[in-house]
Amino acid sequence: MSDAATDLPEAAVRRIESTSFSSGLSVPDFAACLDLGLQPVGLVQGFCVMRWGWYGAGSGYMRGMNPYAGAGQGDGAYMETYRCPHGYVSAEHRMWGQNVEQTWVEETWSQGYGSAYTRMLEEATAFGAHGVIGVVDRVTNLADTGTTEFHFLGTAIKVEGGPPPAGGVPWSTYLAGQRLTKSIEAGFMPVSVAASMASVRVWAYCMTEYFMEGSRGWGGPTSPYEVDQVSKAHMASIQLARKHVRQQLSGDLLHGATIEVVKRELSQGDEVIDCTLRGNRMRRFKDFDVVPPPRPTVRLT
Amino acid sequence: MSASQPIDTRAEMLSGALSLASAPPPSTARGVTSDLSIDEALLLHGAGWEPVDLVCGVSVVSVPIGVWNWGQGEITVASAAHNAAVKGASDHLQNECIKVHGHGVVGVRVNVEVHTHHIDVELVGTAIRPLSGGSHPAAPFVSDLSARDFALLQGAGWMPVGLAFGASFAYAPRRSAGDAMKQKTQNIELTNFTEAMYSARESAMERMQRSALDVGGQGVVQVKVTEGPMHFAHHAVGFTAWGTAVRLVAESHQFVQPDVILPLDDAVVTFAAQSLRGA
Repeated sequence: MSDAATDLPEAAVRRIESTSFSSGLSVPDFAACLDLGLQPVGLVQGFCVMRWGWYGAGSGYMRGMNPYAGAGQGDGAYMETYRCPHGYVSAEHRMWGQNVEQTWVEETWSQGYGSAYTRMLEEATAFGAHGVIGVVDRVTNLADTGTTEFHFLGTAIKVEGGPPPAGGVPWSTYLAGQRLTKSIEAGFMPVSVAASMASVRVWAYCMTEYFMEGSRGWGGPTSPYEVDQVSKAHMASIQLARKHVRQQLSGDLLHGATIEVVKRELSQGDEVIDCTLRGNRMRRFKDFDVVPPPRPTVRLT
Repeated sequence: MSASQPIDTRAEMLSGALSLASAPPPSTARGVTSDLSIDEALLLHGAGWEPVDLVCGVSVVSVPIGVWNWGQGEITVASAAHNAAVKGASDHLQNECIKVHGHGVVGVRVNVEVHTHHIDVELVGTAIRPLSGGSHPAAPFVSDLSARDFALLQGAGWMPVGLAFGASFAYAPRRSAGDAMKQKTQNIELTNFTEAMYSARESAMERMQRSALDVGGQGVVQVKVTEGPMHFAHHAVGFTAWGTAVRLVAESHQFVQPDVILPLDDAVVTFAAQSLRGA
């Protein structure tokens, strides 16, 4: 979708060329938008449907049985190996375990998310917009087919009397209405929405398997015991999502972040932990003004 | 930004747009991440603090097999596992805060899942530091108060010192066969469950207050409780209580003295279709 004007459907071109506008803003947000000198030009959207299979390069199947093979993982990807303290017991005994960052899953997610986002911005560019406000994104699994839909929606706006953004790429934000106004008053200009996903696969070793099913194993502790492998994997998924999103910031700030952690247990101790982090990338364009001390009030109703 | 000088928001918007009109110079600065809303960020700044980074702490503690089977009294192993999981997660959170040179963590989101064989605790919040700098505390505070509540608490001369937590699980004792038969046709209190709940509550509250004292607190604010039978073992009841331990740091409590306001707008008056029927 490099040439937005020619790639868009004919109906979309007619819509863009019409003199009316559309917007996803509520009436209060619409009023606040006008008050801020922002002129809505159109409701813009972007879609992308992605599918990722288990057999891709670097997946668990491709990894084979070698605990030290990190095939398909990028440099610096998270991986921790755990060794069984018992020695050889039987063929079924889990002699080693691993926490592995599933970079191939993260890259596919980023590709889908990025494509849908870019397509929304291309529509906004076709409108001649300077920015997109009130962005809503949705990531939905379609049935049980290993297919995920990424959907972006927002209101393209022009800044009355304002210059176009650098490179002609509109800025974007989840904010709208009075929250956007307060950000601008505070000296924070939205740059873009920022999001990342981290996926960590836990291949349990014997002790993790025992602990997660409540047994102690041979010589295991009799008191409550922290399951180190799972705790670290869970922490790592949040830390990796934070690291990925920070790489998009280039020194800017991430405000109003939301974190969503989804765990899928595959078998006793084996699980996949996915963490999604999203927020508003903001740039400070003036010194922070200190707000006057707030006046506490009691409301009589 | 002061009350006497209204802000020209359009001019501010134009300044902002102008700042994005040219590409910024490459930066190696470490970006700040925070889950605070813009209101919270402004309030914190007004109170002399700024966000540093999103921080997290997770702990998964194993619960040995068989502890939920019917017995008597407190299920001490499960209670200990719960308290160990919260303590572990809180310690991890504090360590992350220390790494990013934060002085404390506010707005901590507490997520606890009790499963049959493991208890998972996840804490996520924003590390903050004072604008004036100052030496780093050996043990940063952890608080589930919002930035607004933190600013209000600080204004009143108090500071959060840590997360106070207590949990207790107890068996509801079996009724005798005779009691069970007699009560079968009666509307009657099941005192075994009531007593188990009281026992769990007292233990959990006592542990929470003791954990507040352990971190140097004088009391606990914004206490939340959860209680009820375990979904996987209905003969066992659980009670958890947590909040933020606070300590008075001013000479004495500073009275906030709020202004009393009387809104002149009516409460919402909506059209009621039933009124057309003359009911």
